[in-house]
Amino acid sequence: MKAELSAALASLIFGLAVSPVAVAHNAICNCYEEPDNQVLCEGGFSDGASAEGVDIRVLDDRERVLLEGKMDADSIFTFDRPDVFFHVIFDAGDNHRVVIYEDEIE
Amino acid sequence: MQASRIQQRRNYALAALLFFIYQPVQAHFQLLYTAETTPTRGVATDWFMLFTHPAHGGPHMDMAAPEKFYLVSQRGDAAEPQVQDLLEYVEPLEFSSEQGITQAYSASLPRSVTRSLGDYVFVLQPAPYFESTEDKYIQQFTRTMVNVGGVPGNWAEPMGLPAEILPLNKPYANWQGGVFRGVVLADGGPVPNAEIEIEYLNHDPNLENMTLGEQAKVELPQDSFGTQTIYANAAGEFTIGLPRAGWWGICALAIGADTEHEGKELSQDGVLWLQVKDLQ
Repeated sequence: MKAELSAALASLIFGLAVSPVAVAHNAICNCYEEPDNQVLCEGGFSDGASAEGVDIRVLDDRERVLLEGKMDADSIFTFDRPDVFFHVIFDAGDNHRVVIYEDEIE
Repeated sequence: MQASRIQQRRNYALAALLFFIYQPVQAHFQLLYTAETTPTRGVATDWFMLFTHPAHGGPHMDMAAPEKFYLVSQRGDAAEPQVQDLLEYVEPLEFSSEQGITQAYSASLPRSVTRSLGDYVFVLQPAPYFESTEDKYIQQFTRTMVNVGGVPGNWAEPMGLPAEILPLNKPYANWQGGVFRGVVLADGGPVPNAEIEIEYLNHDPNLENMTLGEQAKVELPQDSFGTQTIYANAAGEFTIGLPRAGWWGICALAIGADTEHEGKELSQDGVLWLQVKDLQ
């Protein structure tokens, strides 16, 4: 029993160590209309961690990927505004995805 | 209705007169107010700067033009803090009340100033104000902190101001019924046993017309309740309760190193404003 508990604890510690984000932290992302038909998205986490390297995807209303990339060192991703209706997914892993629809972008 | 309004004005004039004659214990507070300290996304912000007695809704004092108005922002733990001078946005404001016209200031900041996620520490350094009834100058280094989107930043970082209240819990995320803890600092060092005054902003500002609401939100049972006075401990730390939603001002008195201005006594105070939310 004691050995099982130790193994479970070790596995939990390992899981937390390799997880890209701690489970208690919320993913946050806002997108804004910028000049020259650009859209700027900025991400972050409620514990203040950087969003550098987090995946971001722009999809149409049939969930086809229009473009994808990663947040830069300033936790920002900028792209040309698509001609079709679109939404943005800031994807920091399970339970840490933020979806922003086009009508939320001002 | 008209008669009642005239009576109200008479009462106010009498209260103002009594204030200047008897000098009751009422705290001067430099207000640095914006409608929302925790927007979910970057928005344009309007700021209202009035030197007043917030619990009593006046009397108000004429401000000289601010010496400094700026912000220090930071997104996340790793980012470097950014300083942005905002003095160019400051406009004189003829604040109108039952008392008449009082010189105040306002600022309308575009969204680009607070577009990014994170903390924004707004700092107002007014010119020293001469309080003739006390024959001394008062200068209040005033801070109001805004957070965009919930990504924390530099709210807990000391700024090394001559007079400053350093928060020990997030100053923009306080529930009604909670407590707020802080440390009184002067030039970045703790001030043991500092005298601190706390007042509730009892008349809601209206940023559309830059006025204060006529109706007090709380009836004060006696004058002692308008200004709560406490002392910091030997490490400069203090804790206060936040029994009601709205805005609370905290002022650490006469803690700055400069104690003289133009041949008169100078009180350099540190002010911090908190917007407290109702837990519903």
